[in-house]
Amino acid sequence: MNAYKLKRNTYKTLCYIFLVILFLISFLPVYLLFVNATRSTAQINAGFSLIPGTSLMENWQIVDGFGLDIPLGLRNSLVIAASSTFLTVYFSLLTAYAINVYNFKYKRFFYGFILAMNLVPMNLYLIGFFQYMHMLGMLNTLPPMIIPAIAAPGAVFFFKQYLDAALVPDLIQAARIDGTSEFGIFNKIVLPLAAPGAFTMAIFSFVGSWNAFMGPLFIIGGNTNLHTLPLIMQRLQGDAFRVDWGAIYLGMAISLAPVIVIYAIFSRYIVSGITLGSVKE
Amino acid sequence: MKRKSISKDHYGYIFIAPFILVFLGFALWPIINTFYLSLTNMHFINHMGFGVSPDFIWFANFTDLFGDPVFRRALTNTWMLWLGNFIPQMLLALTLAAMFSSTTFRLKGTGFFKAMYYLPNILMPVTIAALFMHYLTFHGPINTFLVSTTGILSEPRDFLNLITDSRVAVMFVQTWMWFGQTAIVLVAGMTAISPSYYESAMVDGASQVRMFFTITLPLLKPILLFVLVTSLVGGMQMFDIPLLLSDGPLGPPDMAVLTVNMFMNARRAAPAFAIGSAAAISVVLFFISSFIALILFRLFRTDEQKELSKLAKKRKGATQ
Repeated sequence: MNAYKLKRNTYKTLCYIFLVILFLISFLPVYLLFVNATRSTAQINAGFSLIPGTSLMENWQIVDGFGLDIPLGLRNSLVIAASSTFLTVYFSLLTAYAINVYNFKYKRFFYGFILAMNLVPMNLYLIGFFQYMHMLGMLNTLPPMIIPAIAAPGAVFFFKQYLDAALVPDLIQAARIDGTSEFGIFNKIVLPLAAPGAFTMAIFSFVGSWNAFMGPLFIIGGNTNLHTLPLIMQRLQGDAFRVDWGAIYLGMAISLAPVIVIYAIFSRYIVSGITLGSVKE
Repeated sequence: MKRKSISKDHYGYIFIAPFILVFLGFALWPIINTFYLSLTNMHFINHMGFGVSPDFIWFANFTDLFGDPVFRRALTNTWMLWLGNFIPQMLLALTLAAMFSSTTFRLKGTGFFKAMYYLPNILMPVTIAALFMHYLTFHGPINTFLVSTTGILSEPRDFLNLITDSRVAVMFVQTWMWFGQTAIVLVAGMTAISPSYYESAMVDGASQVRMFFTITLPLLKPILLFVLVTSLVGGMQMFDIPLLLSDGPLGPPDMAVLTVNMFMNARRAAPAFAIGSAAAISVVLFFISSFIALILFRLFRTDEQKELSKLAKKRKGATQ
């Protein structure tokens, strides 16, 4: 029995060593990025360091002098991510609720169609969308970056499953008897009831929009006034700036910081949400 | 008394109307448009996008593509880069999931480890690519570490200008970004397996490794299919990481990391502006990934159906 215990403990220790090594591989590159954002270019060129430097302000002055307008990029990213997240959450929940509660013709067909659309890669739609928006004169404007968020098949699927478990039909009947309108029921009863699921969806939707590159490159790539942070990062990484690494690292840190803060606060929510909405993307 | 007004079902149409309108206008029509464009020679003359009225050229875009060595290169690259990230990612994720869900080890801090392994997945891919590009440049910190600090290499290696090295770099970054996500999905699948299977196997004296291969893996099949299909569909669209990790639109050196989507973007943008050709690339990519996904579904499903029909037969026999 002792030999068994010894063997088990050895395996266990090996497991922990493996886990810690993988932890370092996952975490260190990101940690070093933030450290480098506070070091001067000369220090960065001298190699890795685990200890932050003191050049944060100088780096900011340099990156500000590039004329890439990072604050504008932050604002653009925030406007696009926040509004498309709101639209995705509200209208997907509304659509899922309609499927869940009402009986209407072609409902099964409609829902089956939504499920099928989950499997279509966004790549197929992008070039047609690009040419179509150009035809309408809407290329390099904000609406095509935001309005499509209303129709998010993945989010509808997520909310349909969520409401299947969370919604009690009697509650809706009771509200109807009280004379609440159908929109009132959705806004005052269903929305608060589904808030935890809506919140999880909102985080994933926000992060997805925040990080998106190919869509924005096609749709607003030609208008630097609308550039989001990923597009600015691409320009920042271009040849012309590849001297001032301290400044580039600061730009990188700014692009990651909001998501890192969200993750630091809600990582539990996010990690448990991965499997909830695992039939998206 | 019949209460006609109780039926509120027409609200169903009102509530799904926004979704349907936006979907038709902003998703379905663009998709149809992509198919249409792929059969035309539509191209823009300049950045302003002034188009020339396109001619309908049937499948000329497609025959051109398959005759183009650059496109074939992009296609094989995309498969290579996907496989080179999927295989290590899956092995890592399976190992981790087995550790996390093991009832004999009962490891501590799994929540923390899961959260840290997932971290790279939610970070901006553009930034991640730029970051690793700097780490791997000739004068970059990894070379400094390998040459000056530790002396593992006698002279710096120009990773991003070597074909194999730059491919391995893309595979590594992709694996780095996705192994945690896959592990978490697999853990969820493993914890759903009833412990009674393991208990009876343990009574029979089965080893951990054996139980993993004879109980865990077969019961995990649906989840494995899900991971495989989503990874494949996503991997075929690989774009941000190889584009920004290499130093140009065609994935240098020698198009080593040029993916199909990068080629599509190159056809769309300056100086080509070949919208029809870019659309044809999207269509080819769509058919390839759908076709493979369908085959995978078939392969996995027939097995399950076989088992189901076997069970049904047994039950029939038992009741008779």
